[in-house]
Amino acid sequence: MLPFALGLAAIGCGIGLGLIGFAAMNGMARQPEAIGKLQTPMLIALAFVELVFLLTVFVGAGSFKP
Amino acid sequence: MQDLVLNAQWFLAEATTHAAEAGGEHGGGHGGHATLSFMGLMIYTFAIAGLIMILMAFAKKGLKDRVFKGRLLQYFEQLHGFVENLCVGIIGGHGRKYMPMIYTLWLMIFVSNLVALAFPSSPTADLSFNLGIALLAIGYVQWEGMKANGVFGHWKHFAGPKLPIALIPITLMIFVIELISEVMKNVSLSLRLFGNIDGGHQAATAMNELGKESNLFLVKYLPFGAFLMPIKMLTCVVQALIFCLLFCVYLSLVTHHDHDDHADHAHGEEGGANAHPATT
Repeated sequence: MLPFALGLAAIGCGIGLGLIGFAAMNGMARQPEAIGKLQTPMLIALAFVELVFLLTVFVGAGSFKP
Repeated sequence: MQDLVLNAQWFLAEATTHAAEAGGEHGGGHGGHATLSFMGLMIYTFAIAGLIMILMAFAKKGLKDRVFKGRLLQYFEQLHGFVENLCVGIIGGHGRKYMPMIYTLWLMIFVSNLVALAFPSSPTADLSFNLGIALLAIGYVQWEGMKANGVFGHWKHFAGPKLPIALIPITLMIFVIELISEVMKNVSLSLRLFGNIDGGHQAATAMNELGKESNLFLVKYLPFGAFLMPIKMLTCVVQALIFCLLFCVYLSLVTHHDHDDHADHAHGEEGGANAHPATT
């Protein structure tokens, strides 16, 4: 059950990261001069999405009892 | 010479992990993943701090010249400029006075992350060290917040917007929630760093198990985990960057004020423009 749950978490994390990357890439392609301004919020958002997955892996999986 | 290397490896493995204290029960199962003991963490931390201090001492050489000529000094200057850009971009013009703290944290985390590439463990791959620096960072944010708006003003900042006196339960609830989120900042900062660096170690360990069943010598002893090295190097830079970035954001949240706004705008476009998306 645990690998399945981790896979689900990875799917969600992937979708979230993909959405952020998609939006940031779109913005950067439309307005190349805004790259410097876009990168910082993008990195922050990436960090927040990633944290959910890490929480799942280290806290959720660590406290998992089969 | 070989003996020396072997002894050093044994020392690193024995002295720095819990395996020495657990009496060898650690073995199979997790595939070599071991948490650092207290002594091991101290060894790693002081080794890295010493490394940074030695490099800085060498870099100090040409500091009095009009033009920086030393190669090492130029590296450190570039790094300082990079971190300062980050800091001033997020916090604004008054962000320069927080540079010593931010740069120290950056150097410590970045060098620890680089050490994590080559060594079996590293301070940032250990949750206690990460929690320590996260507590330090958030404590520093509280201190700076109290210095910027006074003790009462800083605590009032947790209570949210000014509401009519009849809505005091809501203010109390906001206060409690803000306090919890302030505590959770520690957890998120430390767990993110720990998860990324330790997760990299575990992924490399798991990938090294890949060819174990093969009969081919090359496949059996090929370190598959080494193929993760490029992405681990990327993680090194990005995690140090994100830690400092979030630290700057938290600092800018508590030290951002109306009377500072004019100063920010006077300092130029990039300070004011960058500050906004980050602070929301």
